[in-house]
Amino acid sequence: MKAFGPGSRSRRAILLPERRGVLLGALLLLTLCAAGTVLVEGFASANNLRSVLLLAAFLGLAALGQTAVALVGALDLSIPFVIGASNILLAWLFATELPALVCIGLIALLGAAIGALNAVLGYRLQGQSLIVTLGVGFAVVGAAQIFTTLGSEYSGTVFSQVPAWFANLASISGRTFGLPLPPLVLIWALVACSAIFVINRTRRGREIHAIGGNRAAAARLSISEFRVWLSVHVLSGLMAAFTGMLLLGFSGGGFVGVGDAYLFTTVAAVVVGGTSLLGGHGGYGATVIGVLVLQVLTSLLVGLGLDYAAQQTVFGLLILPMVALYARTPHVRTQI
Amino acid sequence: MNAPVWSALREHRHLLVPAALVAILLAVAAVRVPQLFTGSGLAGAVLVAAPLILAAMAITPIALAGRGGVDLSIGPAIGFVNVTLVTWLVSLGVEHPLAVFAYAVLAGCLWQAALAALIVYVRISPIIASLAGFMILQGVNLVILPRPGGIAPDWLSDWGYGTTLFGPVLGVLIAAFVLWFGFTRTALFAHLQLVGADERTAYTAGIDVNAVRFAAHLVAGVLLGLAAICQTGLIGSGDPSQGNTLTLQAITALVLGGTSLAGGRGGASGSVLGAIAMYLVFVVLSSFNFGAVSGFMTQMSYGLILVLSLLLSLVVGRGRGRGADSASVSRTPRSAVPNVAGAAP
Repeated sequence: MKAFGPGSRSRRAILLPERRGVLLGALLLLTLCAAGTVLVEGFASANNLRSVLLLAAFLGLAALGQTAVALVGALDLSIPFVIGASNILLAWLFATELPALVCIGLIALLGAAIGALNAVLGYRLQGQSLIVTLGVGFAVVGAAQIFTTLGSEYSGTVFSQVPAWFANLASISGRTFGLPLPPLVLIWALVACSAIFVINRTRRGREIHAIGGNRAAAARLSISEFRVWLSVHVLSGLMAAFTGMLLLGFSGGGFVGVGDAYLFTTVAAVVVGGTSLLGGHGGYGATVIGVLVLQVLTSLLVGLGLDYAAQQTVFGLLILPMVALYARTPHVRTQI
Repeated sequence: MNAPVWSALREHRHLLVPAALVAILLAVAAVRVPQLFTGSGLAGAVLVAAPLILAAMAITPIALAGRGGVDLSIGPAIGFVNVTLVTWLVSLGVEHPLAVFAYAVLAGCLWQAALAALIVYVRISPIIASLAGFMILQGVNLVILPRPGGIAPDWLSDWGYGTTLFGPVLGVLIAAFVLWFGFTRTALFAHLQLVGADERTAYTAGIDVNAVRFAAHLVAGVLLGLAAICQTGLIGSGDPSQGNTLTLQAITALVLGGTSLAGGRGGASGSVLGAIAMYLVFVVLSSFNFGAVSGFMTQMSYGLILVLSLLLSLVVGRGRGRGADSASVSRTPRSAVPNVAGAAP
């Protein structure tokens, strides 16, 4: 146990699949940065760096929930729908007389509630829980659109005034204590540090790995599978709701399709970082690297003149060798 | 006399929920949309529902093979055959029906063979392989045909009028049903069910697990090609942007049809019922006057029906033994696999 424990200095520990993933991801990230600086003019400029970090912060927040869910061996496909729904619902709430903080709190509660719903409905159906989350996502985004469209002639888009302080949080021209960096980047850094600490160093966090690694063994350690299952899904719903709200600050107008890009990119970020979708291996540190790799790569490809379609193809082609290197399924003969 | 009937009923228990759903929807449709049950109404229904029915059938064998194998790339793969058909084939002057069918089926099989090779030899988990495939093809489709356009061969775009029920679309559907029925009569299909239900048992029983998985993907490839032909006939042109929707709809239909993503349980007849149910939901909801929110109503209903049918299948499947079996089957590999992976390095 000690050799594989969180604080281990063992030489073998660096060869664990997840460590290999982080190492490879970091190397890839450095290579991409170097290539970008050489190939694309203005790649290393403050402007580009700022936009890469800001976009990475959105993806990173959304992928935090996906990472936690992947650690117990499930996937949350409701994330893009929750992002879209919270985006338009917050815009709709801002148009009412309610104080901004109350609006944000309501949407956060809603996100957590959707996560809890995913968890409760999917618990007995764990092999198919991604379909449960997909169904819940469909229902949520449909309901949100019906709710905001009633009494309005624009469907799918909501117009309202976003408070200046909220827009400052996540817009590209936002400033942190006078520095020309959107506060969201700092917030993401703080969230990332605390998430890595909680997942790797606290009892509750290790329980997630335990459940994902071996449910039977975890049950013998008196770890409640349902509580862990519930908490990772609630976290996922909550983070998706925050991402959706912050994207409203970024764009200024509510749009339900804003989350669509996150359907598979959150999974890609988790996978590229090195968290196994089978559960038990990986962590948020790996996902942070995965997120940065994807965003730096996007920026590089845009700089090289490739459009969104070509970027998708490159992302797909990137996932395969990364997974082939460190997240291969063991051969069936080793499982007998 | 009674025993075989009962065992047949129990074997097809997963069809109970989708069949009941289709029956209810048909009853509602009979009241709300009587024109659906006329000759031209049915012809239109077959035309519109065929691509989804075939797509849902195509991903069934892959789901049956287990390991959480849900083919996310099905939509973009159908899109790929669709756009290459209206650009490459038409510009080459290849328009003969036989050649077009051969191309679509071959392209579908080649794509599925590539996915199977990734899953079997590189041992990438099916969902990641198909996710990567989704992203790759989504991009490639947009590069080949940046926006909807192009013209299908004349004989194929004529399908889009959908004037007679007993037309070519129904023919393709029946051919697919016959193909699937033949497939279920083979030993290969029994092996596929065993591999999906418990790969370790299948392996120790001497079944060539890899060959079975490959075969499942090839069957999927044939059905994928047919789905692409029907899709092209329906829209009469090329559309690179339908991948996302079609993937989500096909998976929804598959799950509505009672096929378990945990593997081994289910079949194409369920997927067909699931796809029909989705089409009927769409038709019935369109008959109400929801105005601007009708699209959202459809989406919300798909979601609710999906979740409810999953929960119902849990209750129905729990009867005697079966549910407990499937629960343990879905859990065991998941907990066992990372355990071994952790010990290996």
